Amino acid sequence: MSPPPLRRAWARFRAHRTAVAAAVVVAALCLAALGAPLLAPADPLAQPDPVGLQNRPPSAEHPLGTDRFSRDVASRLLYGARVSLGIGAAAALLAVVIGAGVGLAAGLGTAAVDQVLMRSVDVALALPRVFLILLALALWEDAPAWVVVGLIAVTGWFQTSRVVRALALRLRESEFVQAARALGAPRSRLAVRHLLPHVAPAVIVSATLDVGNIILLESGLSYLGLGVRAPAPSWGNMILEGKDQLLSAPWVAVAPGAALLLTVAAFNLAGDGLQDALDPRTDG
Amino acid sequence: MSISRLTSHASRLTSHASRLTSLAAAALLATACARPEAGGGGPTGGTLVIVTAGDADVLFPPSGASTVCADISGLVFSRLAELTLELNTVDDSGFRPALARSWEHADSLTLVFHLDPRARWHDGTPVRAEDVAFTYDVYLDTLVGSRFRPNLAAIDSVTARDSLTAVFHFARWYPEQLYDATYHTRILPRHLLDSIPRGRLASSAFARAPVGSGPFRFVRWEAGTIIAVAADTGHFLGRPRLDRVVWRVVPDLGAGVSALLAGEGDAIAVLPPRELRERVRADSSFRMVPYAPNALAFISFNLRDRDRRGPHPVFGDRAVRRAIAMAVDRATIVRSLFGAEGEVPVGPTARAQWIWSDSIRQLPFDSAAAGRLLDEAGWRDGDGDGVREKGGRPLRFVLLLPTTSRTRQDAAVLIQEQLRRVGVHMLLLPLEFNLFEQRGLRRDFDAIFQSRNLDASPAGILQLFAGEGVRHGNYGRYESPVFDSLVHRAIATPTRAAARPLWREALETLNDDAAALFVFSPPFAAAVHRRFETVTIRPDEWLATVTEWSVPPRSRLSRDR
Amino acid sequence: MPTYLVRRFALALVTTAAAVALTFALVHLAPGEPFLAGAEERFVPPETIARLRRDFGLDRPLAAQFARYVANVARGDLGESFTRRRPVAAVIGETLPATLLLGGVALALSFALGLGLGVVQARRAGGLADAALSTVALALASVPAFWLGLMLLLVFGEWLHWLPVAGMTDAVAGPSRGWLALSLDVARHLVLPALTLALVNAATVARFHRAAMLEALGADFVRAARARGLAEARILAAHAFRAALAPAIALAGLSVPALLTGSVLVESVFGWPGMGRVAYEAIFARDYNVVTGVTVVAAVLVAVGSLLADIGVAAADPRVRRA
Repeated sequence: MSPPPLRRAWARFRAHRTAVAAAVVVAALCLAALGAPLLAPADPLAQPDPVGLQNRPPSAEHPLGTDRFSRDVASRLLYGARVSLGIGAAAALLAVVIGAGVGLAAGLGTAAVDQVLMRSVDVALALPRVFLILLALALWEDAPAWVVVGLIAVTGWFQTSRVVRALALRLRESEFVQAARALGAPRSRLAVRHLLPHVAPAVIVSATLDVGNIILLESGLSYLGLGVRAPAPSWGNMILEGKDQLLSAPWVAVAPGAALLLTVAAFNLAGDGLQDALDPRTDG
Repeated sequence: MSISRLTSHASRLTSHASRLTSLAAAALLATACARPEAGGGGPTGGTLVIVTAGDADVLFPPSGASTVCADISGLVFSRLAELTLELNTVDDSGFRPALARSWEHADSLTLVFHLDPRARWHDGTPVRAEDVAFTYDVYLDTLVGSRFRPNLAAIDSVTARDSLTAVFHFARWYPEQLYDATYHTRILPRHLLDSIPRGRLASSAFARAPVGSGPFRFVRWEAGTIIAVAADTGHFLGRPRLDRVVWRVVPDLGAGVSALLAGEGDAIAVLPPRELRERVRADSSFRMVPYAPNALAFISFNLRDRDRRGPHPVFGDRAVRRAIAMAVDRATIVRSLFGAEGEVPVGPTARAQWIWSDSIRQLPFDSAAAGRLLDEAGWRDGDGDGVREKGGRPLRFVLLLPTTSRTRQDAAVLIQEQLRRVGVHMLLLPLEFNLFEQRGLRRDFDAIFQSRNLDASPAGILQLFAGEGVRHGNYGRYESPVFDSLVHRAIATPTRAAARPLWREALETLNDDAAALFVFSPPFAAAVHRRFETVTIRPDEWLATVTEWSVPPRSRLSRDR
Repeated sequence: MPTYLVRRFALALVTTAAAVALTFALVHLAPGEPFLAGAEERFVPPETIARLRRDFGLDRPLAAQFARYVANVARGDLGESFTRRRPVAAVIGETLPATLLLGGVALALSFALGLGLGVVQARRAGGLADAALSTVALALASVPAFWLGLMLLLVFGEWLHWLPVAGMTDAVAGPSRGWLALSLDVARHLVLPALTLALVNAATVARFHRAAMLEALGADFVRAARARGLAEARILAAHAFRAALAPAIALAGLSVPALLTGSVLVESVFGWPGMGRVAYEAIFARDYNVVTGVTVVAAVLVAVGSLLADIGVAAADPRVRRA
């Protein structure tokens, strides 16, 4: 069995117009996040005039208005994108790496190893993710960003492991893997060179779909005041700051909320599109 | 167990009584003949629902630290004598009788109170002088650890000469003897508390269901949700005009205002954020009742290292404190937070206190000078990261904040940015109120953003900044013999005119030393539903005169019945 | 069936035990002594600290502490809350019903909405309605629950004044009202938070169910039914729906964690006095016993939800029982 025909998958993906649009949006968001220092009209932390420029509606100088400390909302939105996308991407990446690792080990290992790992996954799936993260954040005052990334990743790799394991199980019986084994190739080599290319597409899909959820989770943590701390902007803490002024200065909370909606929807659509394109079942 | 049953009986009787009263009043209204109740005239009834952001911690006056606890202590418990609205703490004429019917100065060191024989605890037991002596014993007990203990330092002893006479002996003469003898304590029932070990009083059942002798009796407390008190109809000074007062806990002030405007509440004591005041003003059912500002929000610097081994690496240096104070633009902060209302404090005082004067010398806002001071003190930004260092240590510190105060959190964000511009890195740590208080008391902080409703007398400043307050309210452990002696002399001076220059010098000493950063004095105005009449507010205790608030029968809502 | 039940139950137990262990491990990995920090009072003398250490068993080896912790949890003793000075189990006991009420109603609502949506979409698969509903479902699945809650609060609570803005009841009126009045009051307060949670969850349900329904509709037995001339609606209702039911029940079980997560945020937006809000407030109070207690209870809930869902699936789908 050869790797899924990437050219056909790409053609399928391209035909799915909304998925392509979503992918474009994702790319644009990533670029915007990376280019925040260049694109942002102002310093996201600067408070030029907390009396005169408070809560100004959108204008030429401040495209998305100012918040109650006279900070430029658009700049904060861009820098907040870095946080959301950064943590989203990092945590998703870490999660699929862990998941893929576990899945491969389970799929390729002995039956005993498989049982142990998969039972652990069953158990781990039942852990209340948000409460564990809350507990960890409570215990660790002022946790740096990588801790949040790690926590989210460590509590969210299970679906990937199951998918990868299923793939690994299927593939281990394929001819060329058996041939490689007969030639004496070690299991790890098998995993890396032969199986990863097969497993990669599913993992990418998994990661893309995960990113959306992780972004929502991170924004929730920031909204509770536990994620990114003031004054650094994150979409979640921008909503927190703006929620008391929904009537008087709605742009402060609506902009990050809309950004979240757009971003997560784009990732979800793109992920769906990828899944449809790469899923052999939809192959006619 | 029996106390709560009695209390619930009493409240049921009270609600029956009020229902009967409004029925009777309605019937008699036809003949246009209002039936006067004891103590005030006019029909009684009505429920006041106060929306509060913080819940009470314990309903035990010596221990409670929350504002709700202070509110409730004022209604459920009584003092020997009460201040009038003028807040004249220096003359005896500034007080009116409460539990004590009269008093006299037997000599310059002795004050004798004659209790009102009609005074009763809510369980029916008469109030006796032994209760007064017991109360002082409790407040002074280190096991109770009351934060009012230092305020009573000048009182040598309190004894019961007979069952209706309490005698106070003072260490020295000063004009505010009557104030100190009456203001800081609420009289507690000896017969209910005597048997409880002192260290357990704050966590006893009494602290969750108090029995006092005040115009209102405690009804119920659902933690985090609601506290209710009901009028003591048989109160010896006359029953309050209202039937009930209820505190409704809504942790977020914005949501609290929404609840208020949606008809789920009647009053909020103080509304610092500007947009919230404007929302209330825009609503025709409510009005803002202004009163003299009597609160102060300030940042205390911990002058000693958190391990208590030496001076604090940042705040131990007077020059650094002065620089930080000069880097903060308080006027902008006040205007940004409160608009045209609210004030920049001239020191640890507020406009309601008589020592306030706009001409007291303070450190000016001057970030250039601040930068120079820091340079001279050896703090420079060597690595260009925007934060100054000295000896490898960055100029960074953590500011503790309570989660309950929106205005302090906002002010902190503004200060953070202002300090960032001069290379000082301030981190914010919001904590739940109780934990915030605990850390403050344990001196486990670099800087702490406190807020105080000030006492009626400026003498309270001793708690905050004098040497004798170091183990108590002086969180920052500021010690200046110069300051201490100035304040003590001011307190002992017989007339205000003579004391004024001493107070001025004391405040200026504090400002020069930058013992703390006095950030803002929030505008004081209570949001009150229009149906309430005869609303007066005493700046140091907004519910001090709530016994006179009333709701005319024609304006009553369903919850008033 | 019985063996299946026993195995599933055993799994639920193991799951809970693992959660307890993990929680314990987390707390003890933290620097300092969190169990002690909260209990300290001002200027506590060293002898008292030593006594507290003994009382909490902090001077015993870790394994002994863990055994003691597990024994306590099994007994229902989750420690004492530092801030409220009451047993954690009591605090959770008071607030858990509110969370269960909110979660239960949200679950039911989300399934009603989601299944209905899935059916409609499957019926009109490929058409304009399908596309429109898919967009709505996508938006709902992508919106942060707390933001949706804020928007709903703004519209229905503040602008229209139709529904109350905070809390579970009109606390002022007190508990002395008749239970009908009380129930109506709670229901009024329940609408917005439950709707928020339900909308977000419904999107997932809808997406899932649409796929399941489409697969069922394409199945042989449905085609056979169509050949026999059965009405479309009846086919949908009777056959396809039932076939898609088993996965739906499984999804219900899997929704429990999502609902618990959502409850923390939604409870804080609406001031709903549930377990999630208690845990959140406990974090800022560093009241670790409360947070660990809530974590353990949440784990139990998830385990129970998953167990019930699996039992439901086994009852609905005989194939599973033999697995």
